[in-house]
Amino acid sequence: MAELIKVIINGQDFQVEKGARLIDACRENGYSIASFCYYADLALQASCRMCLVRIEKMPKLQTSCTITCTDGMVVTTESEEIEKARRGMVEFLLANHPLDCPVCDRGGECELQEMVFDWGDLEERFTERKNYAPEKFLSPVVANDSQRCILCKRCTRVCDEWMGEDAIEAGGRGAHTVIGTYGGWLNCSQCGNCIEVCPTGTLLDATYRHQTRPWELSRTTSTCSFCSDGCQLSVGSRRGEVMRVVARDRYVNGHNGEFLCIKGRFAHPFVNHEERLRTPLVRYKKGGRLVPTTWEEAVRFAAQKLQEVKDAHGGSAIGVVGSPRLTNESNWALLRFARDVLGTDKYTASEAFSLAPFFENLSAPLATHKDIRHAKTIVLIGGEPEELQPLTGKQVRQAVRNGGAKLVIFNSVPIRLKEQAAQFVHIRPGSEDAVVLALASPGDAEVAASKLGVEADEIGKASQIISETAGDVVLMFGGELSAEAQSVVAQLPAAFGEKEGRRFLLHPLPLFNNSVGVHDLGLMNGALNPLEILDAAGSEVRALYVAGGFLPAHLEGREGALSRLDFLAVQELFLTETAEAADVIFPAASFAETDGTFTNSDGLVQRVRQSIPPVHQSKPDWAITSQLASALGTDLGFQMSSSNIFLDIAHGVPAYEGLRYPLLKDESKPVQVKHALAGRRDVTAQLAELRRALESLDENAEKITETPPVGHELFKLGVLTSKVPQFHLLAAGNPEPESVLVSPLYQITLDPGLRREAAAGD
Amino acid sequence: MFIGAIGCEPLQLRRVSLERSRTLDVYRRNGGYEALRKVLDGMSPDDVIGEVKKSALRGRGGAGFPTGMKWSFVPKDSPKARYVVCNADESEPGTFKDRYLMERDPHLLIEGMLIAGYALGARVNYIYTRGEYRYLIEIMDEALEEARTAGLLGDRVLGTDFNCEIYTHTGAGAYICGEETALLNSLEGLRGHPRMKPPFPAVAGLYGCPTVVNNVETLTAVPDIIKMGGDAYKALGTEKSGGTKLWSVSGHVARPGVYELPMGYDDMEKFIMEDCQGITNGRQLKAVIPGGSSVYIMPAEDIIGRDVRMDYEGLVAAGSMVGSGGFIVLDDTVDVFESTKNLTEFYKHESCGWCTPCREGTDWLVKVFKRIESGGGRPDDAQLLLDIVDNIEGKSFCPLGDAAAWPIQSAIKKFPEDFRRHISNGASGDGGKEGLPTA
Repeated sequence: MAELIKVIINGQDFQVEKGARLIDACRENGYSIASFCYYADLALQASCRMCLVRIEKMPKLQTSCTITCTDGMVVTTESEEIEKARRGMVEFLLANHPLDCPVCDRGGECELQEMVFDWGDLEERFTERKNYAPEKFLSPVVANDSQRCILCKRCTRVCDEWMGEDAIEAGGRGAHTVIGTYGGWLNCSQCGNCIEVCPTGTLLDATYRHQTRPWELSRTTSTCSFCSDGCQLSVGSRRGEVMRVVARDRYVNGHNGEFLCIKGRFAHPFVNHEERLRTPLVRYKKGGRLVPTTWEEAVRFAAQKLQEVKDAHGGSAIGVVGSPRLTNESNWALLRFARDVLGTDKYTASEAFSLAPFFENLSAPLATHKDIRHAKTIVLIGGEPEELQPLTGKQVRQAVRNGGAKLVIFNSVPIRLKEQAAQFVHIRPGSEDAVVLALASPGDAEVAASKLGVEADEIGKASQIISETAGDVVLMFGGELSAEAQSVVAQLPAAFGEKEGRRFLLHPLPLFNNSVGVHDLGLMNGALNPLEILDAAGSEVRALYVAGGFLPAHLEGREGALSRLDFLAVQELFLTETAEAADVIFPAASFAETDGTFTNSDGLVQRVRQSIPPVHQSKPDWAITSQLASALGTDLGFQMSSSNIFLDIAHGVPAYEGLRYPLLKDESKPVQVKHALAGRRDVTAQLAELRRALESLDENAEKITETPPVGHELFKLGVLTSKVPQFHLLAAGNPEPESVLVSPLYQITLDPGLRREAAAGD
Repeated sequence: MFIGAIGCEPLQLRRVSLERSRTLDVYRRNGGYEALRKVLDGMSPDDVIGEVKKSALRGRGGAGFPTGMKWSFVPKDSPKARYVVCNADESEPGTFKDRYLMERDPHLLIEGMLIAGYALGARVNYIYTRGEYRYLIEIMDEALEEARTAGLLGDRVLGTDFNCEIYTHTGAGAYICGEETALLNSLEGLRGHPRMKPPFPAVAGLYGCPTVVNNVETLTAVPDIIKMGGDAYKALGTEKSGGTKLWSVSGHVARPGVYELPMGYDDMEKFIMEDCQGITNGRQLKAVIPGGSSVYIMPAEDIIGRDVRMDYEGLVAAGSMVGSGGFIVLDDTVDVFESTKNLTEFYKHESCGWCTPCREGTDWLVKVFKRIESGGGRPDDAQLLLDIVDNIEGKSFCPLGDAAAWPIQSAIKKFPEDFRRHISNGASGDGGKEGLPTA
């Protein structure tokens, strides 16, 4: 516990931590201090001048956001003088601010509006004409009404400090200062965090402009359904339609604070997209058409077909495929279905790579995103978090920028994050495994270095940085690592050994929102992986029950596999490639329409909450599975309640033991599941395998020298993102439209040709 | 136009009227670089700082902070590089002394910076010049090259172990960049916004390293302090304000110019009426803005017969400030409402936009001035102006807010009639629509 000092606020003594910021100390002790530009964890700005207080022995009023408490400091936060100053600032801020709150998207949740309620005067003394500036689009997803700007510069600081992009900055001078972009068009990762932190209606979600008023929205706290970061978000819905997604809550420093990325924030329109499957569909004869039908008929038909296959070939001829996109509850239902209803061991999830070898050898706890932010050394082997796990990218950036962490990157691609790296080791493509070998076994470092195409001492230097760390070392790795390399990475902490004051934390970088969850549940421990299941289609595997589709990468080169099946049942949101081959399609509910949990890359198990009723006739995946089980004569015992399933998980999965929904209620205090630590394992076999693989590496392979453009992964059109018009523009290179001026009832129009072309490109 | 000393031997202006005064040759033949030689021949850095402290030299840029003290704030044990930065961003309206110093005696500045660099352990120094002074950069660069060739600059200055380089850098024409931390931002290639203090530049300035930022006039005073000794320099002026001061005299006087006066020169009336040869066209003195546009305006009755001493303490006692020594004389044809409006427009134009009160306050002030001017005055407008100013003063991020506030405060207080006349025109005017800015 830090040393306490005495501060006297408004005549009352308070004990505060030494080094505390005065504004925080006042607020924590119940004195509200107004501010706009002060924002925890961003560089100090002291420009809004709202937080002025009187400090004894100082000549002028002082900005409490810049003052560090000292012992015996005497502070006045409430006095006539301070009230006049505050009212004066609000009056200034309002002078050139248009009073168009009735048509402003932010009206109702605007910090300036709230401030004016507190500190504004009834009558305006400013009767002159306000400065005018036109409203513009800055990108397909960001609109800017610069008249409303109060120049708190949260946006520019977030862009710089969180995203490392510096895409927006102030231009002009004095009262004519405008936040804008160089060249007038935003070419950035389009995270929209500038919109999130904007206290006024200056920066606006261009996909949501003029759609609803904030108070019409029902807000549901939920977990993002894209990457493995597991950001908490607030889904705003109206009359059964998801209207917008923003970060969970302003000012609360939970898992992701106010941070979201482009997908989390802007890709939600897939939920209510017109192409969502409306009813169950059945194809009665192979080669026939899919025809809409009732739930009863679809379930009856699917049960009948599965029973036929089971009767003819046994339950093990039926494969069950879950998905790292679905909730733990839905995946658990599938696993139970496979084991208890079908009696098959051919279950898996449509996952890009399995984390099983990593977790088997886990010798240190998983790093949470908070741990990453405060780490002293971060080692990144492969991966590209700024595109694939944007919150992780932001935490790494801040750890370096604000926390002075040393970042060591081993990558075959000069990724953008290398700008923050203390050491960037540029390896040959496909040689990530060799990095792991060299770090784990210094004797192999020299040979590995030559294969990697780096100097031998580069690996030594990285090892030294790890060894000498006082504080946390976070080891991160991407999906490039082989099973053997994963095992060895998981054992690296053990290999480096114990050192006073140093703690190792591990952080895998899987691709999906519930990648860790499907592993934890054991869905990845089936007899076959997704590729093997597809390869066995028509022989060992006669029928498949798939929730969510296979990944395009799975189906590539296996186009005929699904049609070789006797029977295929699919639950999906859209008519995907997998669904198109199905004999029965059940319309499934999206993350916004269902209750459940996701487990993120930190091992944090977080709630998914139903925001809207299921669209059309869709149902949650676990409910469909449960119904199908009943039709096959087995009651899975879920009683149509996701919390019952979670209870079942807590009983069946040791890492989730004791967890219940009520314990997951407070999303600002996320719960980490208890992954078993393996201690020191013998990995000689894996090392030997890595050595063997090392030999076959091509020493003449050319290095990739080009930094990939921003958004090359983020803007990719997938099943979900392709339902969002703006992603088509971004995927097509984010061309600047002829006119960026905004007219009130006109959103950016999409060139239909462009949209088709982009859709075909992915 | 007069350039010279009154009431003392010229120090900083000693060479400005000589033929080819800007050449190294003339500079050396007139005592140039002797101070540098003296410093390198046996004075320790602390000796130099000691002499500057003794001299009671105060920063000539406007704030008047004791130079020796500023120098002694630079931490002696810092492992970081140190910098001396010359603030040649002379932008205060009514001020033009630095320009003549650099134009006519560039080596004096170089010598001053070398001595400062020696005293503070700086190996790289910068001269930051306002964008409009581009021609001065050429003069300075030429002089720097001359000094470099003569072994006075660069490696092994005058054959000693002392290495010191000086570079010139030009701003882009922003008043705010004369504020020392905004200057450092600009010098680093960032937007010209002031920085938060503390840390002060002496601790974390240019590139986060200990830095001293001094005005041209301050640095050019240093060689004479070294040569004659701090005590002798101080004796030229008064106890608290040592040495001599340059005054840039402009406005309605018969003989404008740059005047070097001993600190404590007695008195302002004599200075205007005799030294500057009185008011032009036989008009009457109405007011003086003695220290650049940012200081309080002084009406004639506060000057005539009041025996105003021209030094830091004397001017404060008389209700104004030395500031940058931009001495603007106004005769009785001047409408102080109009002159104040003019200045306010300057501050609005130059407000950097960083903080709320200065950015919005100056914008609003100008709008009110324009409304009043075009006949839209309202009875409580003077009070409105004073209240806006009160909400700026002492609450802005940097002193520029205060600088915008003070001229208005004093103008309304000292010349209420000029304001009243304009404001009461409201009834006959067009209600103020004319002067409003349009989109």
